[in-house]
Amino acid sequence: MTVTRRDFLAAGLVGAGAGIIVPPILAKGVFAAGIDGIHNDRVLVVVQLAGGNDGLNTVVPYADPAYATARPTLGVKPETILHIDSHVGLNPALPKLKSLYDGGQVAIVQAVGYDKPTYSHFENLYVWQYADPQRRQTDGWLGKLLGSQLDSQGHPMAGCALGQASTPPELRAGNATVSVIQSAQGYTVRGGAGRQATAPELYARTPGIYGALFDQALGTAESGMKVLAATTYKPMAQYAAGGAAPAANTLGSALQLTAQMIVTVPSVKICHVVLSGFDTHQAESTRQTTLLGELDTAISAFMTDLATHGQSDRVVLMTWSEFGRRINENGSLGTDHGAAAPLFIVGKPVKGGLYGDQPSLTSTIDDGNLKYTVDFRSVYQTLIRDWLQGDSAAVLGASYPELPVFSAAPSVFSPA
Amino acid sequence: MNLTQVRLSRRQALGVAAGGAAGAVALTFALDELGGSNLAALNTGSGWSSPLGDRRGMAAHLLRRAGFGYSQTDLDAAAALSYDDLVDRLVSQRSDPLAAPADVTNHNSLVEAWYTHMATTQAQFPERMTLFWHGVLTSDYRQAARFPYVYQQNALYRSAGLKDLRTLLTSVSRDPLMMRYLNLDASTATAPNENYARELMELFTVGPGNYSETDVRESARAFSGLRIGLYDSSGSRMKAPRYDRANRQAYVDQVNALVAAGASFRGTTVPRLHDSGTKTFLGHTGNLGPDDIVDILLAQPACAPFVTRRAMTFFASPNPTDADVNAVATQFRASRYDIPTLMRAIFRSPAFTAPSNYRSLMRSPADYMVATMRALQRPGLVRTAVRSAQGMDQVLYDPPSVAGWPANSGWVSSSALLTRINFATAATTRLSGAPDLGGAITTQLDNVLSPTTAAALAAAHTDSDRWFALLASPEFQLK
Repeated sequence: MTVTRRDFLAAGLVGAGAGIIVPPILAKGVFAAGIDGIHNDRVLVVVQLAGGNDGLNTVVPYADPAYATARPTLGVKPETILHIDSHVGLNPALPKLKSLYDGGQVAIVQAVGYDKPTYSHFENLYVWQYADPQRRQTDGWLGKLLGSQLDSQGHPMAGCALGQASTPPELRAGNATVSVIQSAQGYTVRGGAGRQATAPELYARTPGIYGALFDQALGTAESGMKVLAATTYKPMAQYAAGGAAPAANTLGSALQLTAQMIVTVPSVKICHVVLSGFDTHQAESTRQTTLLGELDTAISAFMTDLATHGQSDRVVLMTWSEFGRRINENGSLGTDHGAAAPLFIVGKPVKGGLYGDQPSLTSTIDDGNLKYTVDFRSVYQTLIRDWLQGDSAAVLGASYPELPVFSAAPSVFSPA
Repeated sequence: MNLTQVRLSRRQALGVAAGGAAGAVALTFALDELGGSNLAALNTGSGWSSPLGDRRGMAAHLLRRAGFGYSQTDLDAAAALSYDDLVDRLVSQRSDPLAAPADVTNHNSLVEAWYTHMATTQAQFPERMTLFWHGVLTSDYRQAARFPYVYQQNALYRSAGLKDLRTLLTSVSRDPLMMRYLNLDASTATAPNENYARELMELFTVGPGNYSETDVRESARAFSGLRIGLYDSSGSRMKAPRYDRANRQAYVDQVNALVAAGASFRGTTVPRLHDSGTKTFLGHTGNLGPDDIVDILLAQPACAPFVTRRAMTFFASPNPTDADVNAVATQFRASRYDIPTLMRAIFRSPAFTAPSNYRSLMRSPADYMVATMRALQRPGLVRTAVRSAQGMDQVLYDPPSVAGWPANSGWVSSSALLTRINFATAATTRLSGAPDLGGAITTQLDNVLSPTTAAALAAAHTDSDRWFALLASPEFQLK
């Protein structure tokens, strides 16, 4: 059932009837993408680091004496830091990301945040997921993009939440169809052909307030099950140590499934995966090291896998977290909720480098928190407009300074 | 559409289903071959023909929401009472303690034991309340390490969760699992940890917008210095058993024996770690401690409506109106936060009883699986339930965040619904001794079926297939 990129482009340009065998469900996606005005095969993968990742210990401002003062016990040991330049370096748990950076495939965007931040997980999740510091929007930013520009025809796999069982808020929107696939093996109706036919039929046209959601969920599942049953994808990278299959419910398994979807289904446009556990109020260093190590292995394997399958040119990945953490460590060998933090944009199409200004550790806001230098919506706009070639203002409601991550277009930001 | 009941043949049902125009049309359906009943059906705007004008319909609606599931006999008995009497009867149920599992330190054993209890106890309302508080004042089992903290928190919500909000909140601040989950046990006077102080306000009492960042910091000072200790049943401090990796069973036996003897872990303030200085919190100044913070929060006008809204969203309606919330909150506050008063008010609120609230809530995964076990009278499905929970996104004591579980439409996704459907298949495999299906359609689904569900039931040829269609149906996911 694999359709090559060439097939996809041909079908997209000429129409699905031009003698190329495109499974009907994919043809629908091609058609839908066509009428919605986005004519490319580019994919955005969003990696959520849930809980509030400590940005200062991820991209470490090791040359700033204020860092050692603020982090007397929790500071990353200077000799272990993976230097990016003479000011900042990566946490030693990120060696593979450092290699990708050295290969020019990682944009590090510094001090991403917004004005007058809150310090609540849930308020910040709302802000980032709905792209709205006022927290009034009711549709997620990726859901809006999906529903209005990528696939208003409801192609079942244009938007995918992978390695998780629920629909993430940023993908929710009134008119967005989302496939939620926790694992490829589990995505099936057990009990034989009869049950497989009965299940979607049971959920069709249900009355009441849940009817449309039910119908969409089972309709989506029906398509996804067919695609996954016929996939010929084989992972071509090590998502877990020792060549074993990655454990269930890890970022490695979620990104392997993401690669599988991208390789198998050319109309995939947005994939969302999540790595949880970053709320490190206590005993931070062990936990963050483990989580960053998982991130490092998973992203690196994902990029290798895509390259081996010839898909590198069409995929960009971004990370985000609801906030960074307080500059000063607390008394529990951890850090409390903070504000701005760096994020990564990774992929072959990315112009690697440092973007945005390093925030001051001494000129702070709200009693010891980092001030943002890049509005998070600048990142969203850059990805919507310059990568997916969509209409960012329609999603974000305004325009923001662009980051030159994909082009040499003039901008208020410049690579360091 | 008028209020008359619509009776269709199977052929008509399939025609309607295939015609596709039935999206907003609900039909009260009587399948002759499966045994129908007559219900007074109201067209209410809920999308379904609501049976909530009918005493039996009201009783079933309440049993699904105040408990988990019921048999035809249970429903007959409930419908024999007036609605108000039924509410009183349910809310005054005394809780049935959960017997300690074989290993009281093991998460999986505790979850299995709790599922069994939910599926078998006569006191369903206290279990429902325990599940509610588990989602509100939530915690992660990983923080229990080798201690019986999950078991203790579960027991706390089954007891204090049926008393009053002050008792509950002052106990939760000293509950070891909560103390570990939100880092109270590591907070000191010199470096107060803000995690619990923030969530106590944001998620447990008043909600965002009703306090400042300064209040968070001052409250954290008041909560500083709490540490976990082990106490025997008379309240004397004891030494906790030492974990021995080489002889794990001996350790577990020791902990089990302690729990059986009534010993418990809880937090107490250690003076040298506590900040006894003056704090100013929400306008109150003094040497405030943990219980002072709780009292100040309970006195805030935002507290009763905030807690009431969380309870109403869980028990009554996905989006209760401010007027409905405030009417209940006023009674809750006036009763000095008496939880049975809160629950009686919710069950009598228009947000609960109005015909349009029929099937307005989605069963959570735990609720769905327990309701299935009760409908089939198969509590032996507990292991299958525990295995299936992750795919539906609800592993008990492993919430997605400190905000607890999603609700209602948050449970709908392609993956999660497939897991529910597969659970229905597992539950109806090798079925024997299940209740009569014709009666079940009336008992469990009020005989209010969508055309497609009616068609699937009519097309099923075996008891197993019919029970599958009922349990996997959208109707059974709702309540």
